[in-house]
Amino acid sequence: MTRVGGDRLPSSIRERGDPYLATLIQQIINGLSLGSVYALIAVGYSLVYSVLLFSNFAHGGFLVIGGYICYAALRTFNIGIWMAGALSLVGAGAAAILTERLAYRPIRERTNVTLYLLIASMGMSIVIENIFVIVAGGRFRALPPVIPTTPVNFFGLATTSAFDLLSLVSAVVFLGALQLFLSKTRWGLAIRAAAYDLRTAGLMGVNVNRLISIVFFVAGALAAVGGIFLSVRYTLYPQLGAITIKAFVAAVIGGLGSLPGAVVGSLILGLAEMLTAGFISSQMRDLVVFSLLVVTLLVKPTGLFGKSVSEKV
Amino acid sequence: MSGYAEGIIILLCINAIAAMGVSLLTGFTGIFSLGHAAYMALGAYTSAILTVQHGVHFFPAILLGGVVAVALAYFIGVPTLRLMGDYYAIASIGLGEAIRLILENWQSVTRGARGYPGIDPYTSLPIAVGFFVILAIFMFNLINSRFGRACKACRDDYIASSLLGFNTARIRVVSLMISAFYCGVAGALLGGFLSFIQPVMFDMLKSTELTAVVVFGGLGSMSGCILGTAVITLVTELFRPISQYRMLIYGAVLVIIMVLRPEGIMGNRELLSWIKDPFGRRS
Repeated sequence: MTRVGGDRLPSSIRERGDPYLATLIQQIINGLSLGSVYALIAVGYSLVYSVLLFSNFAHGGFLVIGGYICYAALRTFNIGIWMAGALSLVGAGAAAILTERLAYRPIRERTNVTLYLLIASMGMSIVIENIFVIVAGGRFRALPPVIPTTPVNFFGLATTSAFDLLSLVSAVVFLGALQLFLSKTRWGLAIRAAAYDLRTAGLMGVNVNRLISIVFFVAGALAAVGGIFLSVRYTLYPQLGAITIKAFVAAVIGGLGSLPGAVVGSLILGLAEMLTAGFISSQMRDLVVFSLLVVTLLVKPTGLFGKSVSEKV
Repeated sequence: MSGYAEGIIILLCINAIAAMGVSLLTGFTGIFSLGHAAYMALGAYTSAILTVQHGVHFFPAILLGGVVAVALAYFIGVPTLRLMGDYYAIASIGLGEAIRLILENWQSVTRGARGYPGIDPYTSLPIAVGFFVILAIFMFNLINSRFGRACKACRDDYIASSLLGFNTARIRVVSLMISAFYCGVAGALLGGFLSFIQPVMFDMLKSTELTAVVVFGGLGSMSGCILGTAVITLVTELFRPISQYRMLIYGAVLVIIMVLRPEGIMGNRELLSWIKDPFGRRS
């Protein structure tokens, strides 16, 4: 995976106090912040998985679409981050619905073999990535400085960036909103029913096609939020979507299809990555991610919160 | 025969060997993989290190390349393939990335990201064709054997097949191991053909390509996957001038095939049965 720039290294840990402790606190904050961005992506992916039971590999594409819309809006229309962010959320959500209509619905209506959906999603992820390679070019782009990255002193113990705190707070807000949507609204109830059994939900009078569109819109919008924060953290480029692998891994660690699992898994992954980067080596962090995946699958294969997937015969 | 044509035939054989491996796993056992390039990488590096640094003859080195890939497949397959669902698919992406990272960072053994030069060019035309023919004969017999039918049963209905007494988890793992062996051998041959290997050659794009070839040829048709390899390898050569759009077309074709003809060129039929009985019942 290409990684540019890297995460900001501890800048002022040498100032006072125990440098080891300061690094620890700093990396924990960074880890939670990164983990919360993974959570936004992983939750959308998990939501789609819980309803349609296939891994949507085009999910990374939604993230890239969100990032580029935000970039274009900021650069050409010169509007504030709030408008640009809203535009990017809606745009990525619409792109997700379009992807579902074009590529998945025709397959879904004909067969229930999820393998075909999986392959189509892989194709869509290649298509989206390469549309941006051709249209926007493969260059790395930096978002205009709309999100403050000024250092914030944390109770005199450690210094962290305002950006990390902001991304953590926005992730909490969006995940809270999703939780409210799922638990309090009629469509939320329908989605929970569909996650239990899509066919039965359809028989109970839920408009399945509209429900799936809503699920994809929500997933795309959440991915766009993640995309904006990731493009501030790592700059924006067409292959940024490859970072979704981490979110997939997080979803597996938490249990495929489980939303709380996706959040917890993402936080674990973010912390593990940042602590590895801070105390061992920056190059080892992707290996740590994969080792966590293998260990989870060996010890508790269904993940932390997963439903048991092997049916008793 | 000109060197260029010879090169293409060798490449075709290598790609077909890898595709047969993926076809057994994806087409016949119904397991989706996005990391099979990792097995190719292991085979390539094992064989390269053995021949260059330890002076092993290339023939056992190629086979050992396959064996190392099998060992990894066992290690990764046992925890993930017991579960139904996309667990293996996601683990395989992680696996592909991790293997590539290890190869890039383990400087003392693999010489890192700049690649491993100076491999003896042992993959001549007869060697490549020989390996292809032997492995193809083995594979065509395998898919019609008891084991092959067990794989298809697992793919079509794993509950029914386990009721019939098949150990589905074990069949899935063995299928992955055989497929890893094919990819390992293909990787070893590729190293001997190019006499230079680099971790970036075995990235996720390569894995995607392996799966795409199988899908294009027809899930559940071994001759289809060889046909698909031939078409894709030749088209890739033709598309070299417009490489900018190659990946876009490639992704779009993948989606269009899934939407219009998910069974690929050949469906689940074999070339021979199609020639004998072009309008007959589907086997």
